[in-house]
Amino acid sequence: MTEEKILLDHGSGGKVSHSMFSDIILPLFENPELSKQDDGATLDIDGAKLAFSTDSYVVDPIFFPGGNIGDLAVNGTINDISMCGAIPKFISVGLIIEEGLSIKDLKSILETMATAAKKAGVKIVTGDTKVVPRGKADKIFINTSGIGVIPDNVEVSGHNAKPGDKIIVSGTIADHGITVLSSREGLKFDSDIKTDSAPLNHMVQSIVQSDCDVHVLRDPTRGGLGTTLNEIAVQSQVGIKIDEQSLPIRGAVQGTCELLGFDPLYIANEGKLIAFVKPEDAQKALEIIQQDEFGKDAVIIGEVIDETPGKVFLQTAIGGSRIVDMLTGEQLPRIC
Amino acid sequence: MALKYIEEYRDATLARDLIKKIHGVSKRKLRLMEVCGTHTMSIFKHGIRSVIPEGITLLSGPGCPVCVTAQKDIDAFVEFARVKNVIVTTFGDLMKVPGSSSTLAKEKASGADVRIVYSVFDAINIAKDNIDKEVVFCAVGFETTIPTIAASILMGIEAKIDNFSIYSANKLTPPALAALMVTKGVEIDGFILPGHVSVITGTNAYRDTFEKYDVPSVISGFEPIDILKAILLLIEQNEIGKPALENAYPRAVSDQGNVKAQQIMNQVFEVCNAFWRGIGEIPLSGMGLKKEYQVFDAAIKFGMDMPEVPEPKGCACGEILMGLKTPEQCALYKKKCTPMTPVGPCMVSTEGSCAAFYRYS
Repeated sequence: MTEEKILLDHGSGGKVSHSMFSDIILPLFENPELSKQDDGATLDIDGAKLAFSTDSYVVDPIFFPGGNIGDLAVNGTINDISMCGAIPKFISVGLIIEEGLSIKDLKSILETMATAAKKAGVKIVTGDTKVVPRGKADKIFINTSGIGVIPDNVEVSGHNAKPGDKIIVSGTIADHGITVLSSREGLKFDSDIKTDSAPLNHMVQSIVQSDCDVHVLRDPTRGGLGTTLNEIAVQSQVGIKIDEQSLPIRGAVQGTCELLGFDPLYIANEGKLIAFVKPEDAQKALEIIQQDEFGKDAVIIGEVIDETPGKVFLQTAIGGSRIVDMLTGEQLPRIC
Repeated sequence: MALKYIEEYRDATLARDLIKKIHGVSKRKLRLMEVCGTHTMSIFKHGIRSVIPEGITLLSGPGCPVCVTAQKDIDAFVEFARVKNVIVTTFGDLMKVPGSSSTLAKEKASGADVRIVYSVFDAINIAKDNIDKEVVFCAVGFETTIPTIAASILMGIEAKIDNFSIYSANKLTPPALAALMVTKGVEIDGFILPGHVSVITGTNAYRDTFEKYDVPSVISGFEPIDILKAILLLIEQNEIGKPALENAYPRAVSDQGNVKAQQIMNQVFEVCNAFWRGIGEIPLSGMGLKKEYQVFDAAIKFGMDMPEVPEPKGCACGEILMGLKTPEQCALYKKKCTPMTPVGPCMVSTEGSCAAFYRYS
């Protein structure tokens, strides 16, 4: 019997990642904040409600249409904090650089990080740099962590989905994953697809600060919309039903997925959120999201149902029904 | 890159119409086999099982290339990964298929150079870029991919590449259908014949098998409308008692097929016996390199001849591929065998029936 080793699947964001978390990581660190398993931890420090999150970026290639590893890293952490309902304030940046990276590339990455932080209204306040010998990392890896403040009366969590809730997605799905894939060596092809990497903090605040009753916010990054909906179905112990025909997918993205055998439901997004909203507030919440610069293509894709807890169903275009499971393997390594 | 032609074949109104017709003509219980793994996936993805009459059972056939690859061939791929200075190139689906002792994914995690390619031509390019190493391509596939593999060999000759070779586990579709028809216990009332394979082979390739066994056979495309249409035709043939070989995918498939691709395939490869997982040896169902091209044969180059090994105990992949069992009837399904811990290849490949059942039902 060979020794068990970490496989790329462990980094997929799907089932294998989840079992690594629950079997290896959680038992060692267990505490109420971590056990909630939301995008970031929500903390209560002497009455101040804060959100705290961290994420590492290893995307390959480091430059791709519409962005690079730098703004991806800044937006990613901003979004993780935002999905706790918080206003992101401060970010840290850790750079692990491979010997040989051009200074020009580094500058260009840092410039986009500065621009992304400014656009979102967050400050990069601390950081660290390490350089490793050639071959011991791949060009550059970035870790970002951040903290944000949760306004009073805001309480969103993956545990809060309720039967009847309408599910809104803030725009087209699978853009980021397909962009990165199609800019890889060996698989280059011309298309006008670009990453959707974007800060969602303003969009989030405009809905949570409205009088709409928002129960869950989540950004469907690694593992895609399908995996994220499964996580919420399990966390809240509810069923979820979505309608295939309502899913917003760009033609070029759909075409690439068809060509390569990928399911857009499992492809990463970096500038989209899903919101679970009380049914009577859904239309209003949708309109608020659509008014945001990153939410123009927002639509309602489904609802929470009172049966089959933990399961996600898709109503297909031809009127059939099927289960949407959590991603079980690695579709695309190093997508973020 | 708008694939406009796809939408028409997913049209909800057309689909409703076909579903209504299917329910109208269907009287008897029927067992229809979709031969191709891509059909299996499409049937699940579009929820086709949930819209057809209960009496119509859809069985997944031996048309998922990874699923029918013999254990000893998987063992050979793993063994190549363990040879020093060898880069193993493979389609992604093979990475996690368990051999007797390991998988390509595990070998990669242990330091072997295993690379996923989307085309055999990527493997040729890897060989060009790594002249101090040997590049082995795991050739697993049907008539759809064999011509491109043949073309890569011809390309290798032209570019004088001598560090590239293939291990051929290629297979042919019609002999497998014939083998199924004579297997004890197999009951099939109709074949949904593969679309991609038929683009290459043409309708004519199935004529002998059809005439011999007189089983309703319809070539189908992969969109829901295509598949519903094929199901309707197969039910109609059964109900009126007139089996026929029909081409319901004429926008892509002709009687003759792609003659040029067939020529390239037959220039480089010749028909040979082949081992199919769970089924055993089927005469003249494989494609091996012709003598003059055997410098590209990795098995010969590396003297690789893995012994035949029994398949994992309890794994019903073979019976599932022949329509004798459904995945749910396998004792390991969802217990010992899941996509995270697959026992048999049907649970690994994205086109495998067990993986599709697991994921979509």
